[in-house]
Amino acid sequence: MTEKGSPNHIPEIVEAGATVTLDELCLSCKVEQEWILELVEHGAIEAFGHSGSDWQFSHVTIVRVAKAKRLERDLALNMPGVALALELLDEIDGLRARLKAAEGRR
Amino acid sequence: MEFKDYYAVLGIDRSATQDEVKRAYRKLARKFHPDVNKEEGAEEKFKEIGEAFEVIGDPEKRAAYDQLGKNWKSGQDFQPPPDWDAGFEFSGAGPREDRDYSDFFEQVFAGMRQRQHAPRGGAEFHARGEDHHARIMVDLRDVFQGATRTISLRVPEIDQSGHLNIRDRTLNVKIPKGVSEGQTIRLKGQGSPGMGRLPAGDLYLEVSFKPDQLYRVSGRDLYIDLPIAPWEAALGASVKTPTPAGAVMLKIPPNSFQGRELRIRGRGIPAAEPGDLYAVLNIVLPPADTDKAKKAYEDMARDLAFDPRAKFGA
Repeated sequence: MTEKGSPNHIPEIVEAGATVTLDELCLSCKVEQEWILELVEHGAIEAFGHSGSDWQFSHVTIVRVAKAKRLERDLALNMPGVALALELLDEIDGLRARLKAAEGRR
Repeated sequence: MEFKDYYAVLGIDRSATQDEVKRAYRKLARKFHPDVNKEEGAEEKFKEIGEAFEVIGDPEKRAAYDQLGKNWKSGQDFQPPPDWDAGFEFSGAGPREDRDYSDFFEQVFAGMRQRQHAPRGGAEFHARGEDHHARIMVDLRDVFQGATRTISLRVPEIDQSGHLNIRDRTLNVKIPKGVSEGQTIRLKGQGSPGMGRLPAGDLYLEVSFKPDQLYRVSGRDLYIDLPIAPWEAALGASVKTPTPAGAVMLKIPPNSFQGRELRIRGRGIPAAEPGDLYAVLNIVLPPADTDKAKKAYEDMARDLAFDPRAKFGA
């Protein structure tokens, strides 16, 4: 089905500064609170504030948790594996960015 | 409809054991997972591998497929014979709801879906719709002009009788000015519809840039190779330089060297704090293909006493 003549959707940029709560994060990514807790304990994502219901997360964490969930599901990873994969992917992104900048300096 | 050779997709022999199937699948899945592999086509490949494994990795479906596939080759036009799956019982899980499958898979294994149950009615049920995540490729130019792009999404939906349908959905998305690579944009209310009184979920789109012919992107900064003549580098010059927001005159300082980066402030990706554009000087030598040109080089050689290899020592 094509929504012809439908209005333009105007998105917002998800800023690192904005925050979401633990409930919002779980709801958005369809995961259990315990699973988020494990991600935090493995240092795969960062939580601000005290514990549990007081926790705040950067809005961009939603994207990271969704990615973590996909990795766990699709590659049958356990939590240390998910955390390691995310860390290595971060590193690759960083190296790619540096490579691009270095190509600019060639 | 084309016949799909799932063994070829997994790169294995028809005689492969279930363990070998699993190994081949895992290896390919890691390689082509769209969160790991950013290359174009990785996502399609990953889906294809997943679909192949869903059939070949399940002994019951594999047996049915083998029965069916004996005389078929990949890409051949294919119609399943009527009642082909009679006698095979599929006790495993049905297809995953969040995947879209090839026509071949839909046709052959659709039966399993019909047996899925519709969500039970009864008590009034309220739930916020699920958020969706996808990726969007944009042109660098869109980021400058804030163009509107049409994106297509395939959304699995369960209808009232409990059947799963894949709906193609087209959305007009206004690319926000100044979005940078790797950032995420959110479309409120464009995820799954909510149930009961609760609102729909959101659609999150991770932004990647298509490679640009002129500019390289690094964060909010842009790089462009700027070809200049040797005398422009040596004597200094004012050179017309393209930027995505229109050409500017760039002052080349005298005695500039190959690879020097000249910054044009604020001409990178627009934002509250816009990025910069770096012009990377690339000195291009004029060919010595006329007597006049040769004479000019000879004069330089005689008059300049220049040794580019002075560092090497005598």
